[in-house]
Amino acid sequence: MNKIWVLILLTSCIVSAIFAPELAIVAMTKGANDAVKLSISLVAIYGLWLGTLNIMDKLGLSDKIAWCMRPIMRFLFGKDLSKESNKYVSLNMSANFLGLGNAATPMGIQAINSMGENRTTANTQMIMFVVVSATSLQLLPTTVIGLLINRGSSTPTSFLIPSIVATIISTIVGVLLVKILSKIFKDKPENHQQTSSII
Amino acid sequence: MQATTYIIPALFIFILCLSIVKKQNAYQTFVEGATGAINLMAKVFPYLLAVMIAVEIFRQTGISAKIAHFVAPAFNLVGIPSELAELVLIRPLSGAGAMAILDNIYQTYGTDTLIGKTASMIYGSSETIFYISTIYFTQSKVRNLRYAIPVAIIATLVGVIVGAWMIRMQG
Repeated sequence: MNKIWVLILLTSCIVSAIFAPELAIVAMTKGANDAVKLSISLVAIYGLWLGTLNIMDKLGLSDKIAWCMRPIMRFLFGKDLSKESNKYVSLNMSANFLGLGNAATPMGIQAINSMGENRTTANTQMIMFVVVSATSLQLLPTTVIGLLINRGSSTPTSFLIPSIVATIISTIVGVLLVKILSKIFKDKPENHQQTSSII
Repeated sequence: MQATTYIIPALFIFILCLSIVKKQNAYQTFVEGATGAINLMAKVFPYLLAVMIAVEIFRQTGISAKIAHFVAPAFNLVGIPSELAELVLIRPLSGAGAMAILDNIYQTYGTDTLIGKTASMIYGSSETIFYISTIYFTQSKVRNLRYAIPVAIIATLVGVIVGAWMIRMQG
């Protein structure tokens, strides 16, 4: 991520310096402003769903959802997935499935946290989880439909079938690739004393 | 399509009724859970800020459009209209940035044209891959994601190519 970020920002600033020096501060300030606006709406969404999730947790519902999704979890992550990871991954996938991508985020963070606390390199479970989330099945892309209706589309749902097929295919391809690659590049246990003992 | 709009109210009716039956204090539990939202955002915000600043200047300087122009022939080759190259490039980086491009495409080429429909499919079937893979790891020490991002991008592209083909078949 660091390389990509520096590359994007650096080339943009160079181009800006050559052709439109005043653009740099305008564009970057707009980006920052957009980030604040998005954060405010995200705090609202996180609050709503963290609160709801807590009620579901206390009622034992999250464990029930996790239990129902056990076969899928076992196929994707193998037998070693802890009970806690299993719960958060199940909830994250259910939320993504319903098109609640932002509601899925807090559960995604907790899922990653539960998969290995002191690692600095992602293990296969984490990679599988990131790929499944990043290619997640979306049944109803509500934002696109809303925008289409605003722009006066007469057939705002005509793209839905191809779109759903595309997300299913991307998830299948992603899962298969991780399954294959995890056989080739095996997880290595991390040695934490390493840095101090060398010097 | 309509059935899915009932899911959210149904979920809440179910949760609340169950909490009454089980004599749980739903209000207090909700408030306790929601307390975490501000802390979570405090962790996520700097990452969000960094990405959105870079993407915005990337778009406004016209570099993303230039790169898109450069790779457009490759998109044509796999059946994605070359006008959509910039949307495909920005989509994994920023949802807001991609939304701006999508709206622009609707206004330029129309919503119900082949290009418009393919654009809707691309946005609807893909995720902000870089955003997800950054945000999910904000509370962990993991910095090296190994092959996660390349796999997610390849998988998404395969899906989008098939989707574009289906839209052409629809006519």
